[in-house]
Amino acid sequence: MTTPEAAGSGALLSTHGLYKAFGGNVAVHDVSLDLYPDRITALIGPNGAGKTTLFNIITGYERADSGDITFDGRPVTGMAPWEISRRGVVRTFQTPVGFPTMTVWESLQVAGASHAVLTGMLSSRGRHETDELSRRADEILTNLGLKQLIDTPVDELAAGDRKLAELARQLMARPRLLLLDEPAAGVNPGAISRLSELIREVHRSGIALMIIDHNLSFVLDVADYVHTMANGRIIAEGTPEEIAANPVVRQVYMGVET
Amino acid sequence: MSTLAAISALGSPTFWVSLFTLIGVYACVTMLLNVEAGWGGMWDLGIVGLLAIGSYTYTIVTNPPGEFDVVYAPGWPVWAGILAAMLVTGIVAFLVGLPALRARREYFLIITFAFAEVFRQLAINLRDLTQGTVGFNSVARPFESFFERDALRAVLLVVTWGAALLVYALTRRISRSGYGRALRAMRDNEPVALSLGIRVSRLRLQTFVLVGVAVGGVAPLYMWWLRYANPSVFEPQFTFTAWTALVLGGIASRFGAVLGVAVLLLFTELIELIEVPLEFRNVLVAVHPLAIGLLLVLVLRFRPEGLLSERRTFGARARLATPLDGAGAAVLSRLRLLGRRGDTVNEAGP
Repeated sequence: MTTPEAAGSGALLSTHGLYKAFGGNVAVHDVSLDLYPDRITALIGPNGAGKTTLFNIITGYERADSGDITFDGRPVTGMAPWEISRRGVVRTFQTPVGFPTMTVWESLQVAGASHAVLTGMLSSRGRHETDELSRRADEILTNLGLKQLIDTPVDELAAGDRKLAELARQLMARPRLLLLDEPAAGVNPGAISRLSELIREVHRSGIALMIIDHNLSFVLDVADYVHTMANGRIIAEGTPEEIAANPVVRQVYMGVET
Repeated sequence: MSTLAAISALGSPTFWVSLFTLIGVYACVTMLLNVEAGWGGMWDLGIVGLLAIGSYTYTIVTNPPGEFDVVYAPGWPVWAGILAAMLVTGIVAFLVGLPALRARREYFLIITFAFAEVFRQLAINLRDLTQGTVGFNSVARPFESFFERDALRAVLLVVTWGAALLVYALTRRISRSGYGRALRAMRDNEPVALSLGIRVSRLRLQTFVLVGVAVGGVAPLYMWWLRYANPSVFEPQFTFTAWTALVLGGIASRFGAVLGVAVLLLFTELIELIEVPLEFRNVLVAVHPLAIGLLLVLVLRFRPEGLLSERRTFGARARLATPLDGAGAAVLSRLRLLGRRGDTVNEAGP
């Protein structure tokens, strides 16, 4: 594992002085962070700390009042969500509703499809592309152990499978950086260690990862580097060991959690 | 009309040719409405407005010069009229879509409804172009010089169903393409669709324009069947009929639009033919809408998703294409001739 000092430059994603207020409520206050592809980064903090708002700003769902974001050395501040996704920054959502009328297979096809959708329909590449997509969907579903659910409608999946199906779907979008919003929420405790293993596997396949989660033992287990947020600010960062030992973090966060 | 007249209507080929031509026209429009509303989630309550634009465009540019008291009658051939109708309707759809698609669901619905009414009012008031409420009492039809009256009707029936087949092939292609899946994705969950790089706003506009162009192409068929054009034939009733048929047949399924139109129009036309003693005629007329309402309620009571459903159309079948897939298989398995095709999870209970 690379230490933060050794990583130096080479950050894949950097935010600088992000600030966002909803009315008088400051949700994100001067957040600057660097995300390195070679380690799994986590973002923890109590409810209302601003974690999801930060995710929303990075992925274009909310616009920061000030501050900027660069991805892979290029500014992406203020871009639309679809634009950021095409650059390779893909996120998941807290509630994995997905596309309820589709089967798992179909929703993976949506994610993998070419973006020139209307013109793509008319071109003759269609068939070839479909074969390629099916192969990739098969591979991802097999890796995540979802192969037997391939034809199940998304809204008939159990909660844990639905989380994994969402992960599979977002992987089809070919992310370079994947932001996971509470991947362990709703997953039964027995399956969490398997989830950690899958997440590490995704990271080993060359995809940079950033995770928000409430389940502290899960986060400290899976992450290599942890940022802690409270009241919109980053109050501490370091390795899981450092964070676990940090008195400020213990006070604002671990007191609340088990 | 006496009982005898009713029987003779049922026995007359003209009646059936006319009815099935109309079913073909409605089937085209309803299939296109399904692309837009069923898959794209854009609840368009103004599709008759696009049909009006296409119909008037076709009629005006194909009218023989000098026949009507209008400022513009270039007398173009039929094929040029069809192309003009598609082009103009597409442009109008684009111009309507720009503002309307900024609004969601019920607001979009109200805006499209309003636009359709605006177009009808324009048709009433632009007298120099449309002859106002009088309209045009004849419409240029293809093959007019080759066939006598009844034969021409039969030919246009075939042409109309040829067009319907074409529209069906288009929607089938859409439903199995990345484009169709992107439509359903943005309808189901816009934030997730965006997170996958789908440019939702542009996809909506593209679809609205595509449907506009296609409705423009269907409009001449409607004119050929009707053989006149005036503002009263573009009242909201047309839109409501298409929507009712779509819900009846199964919104977001593929063949449901056609099936729904056929069931609804056959039902509507055939109850018109029921004969009762003269003193009960008023009662019967009053009962017609009630009967159509009852049909809709009964179908949705026992098949909440409509006669066919999205789940049956897509589901496992979307992945495992079979030679018999699509409409044929859907209808046959409805009739229990094929039994289940492996997708047991897809049966919806009431």
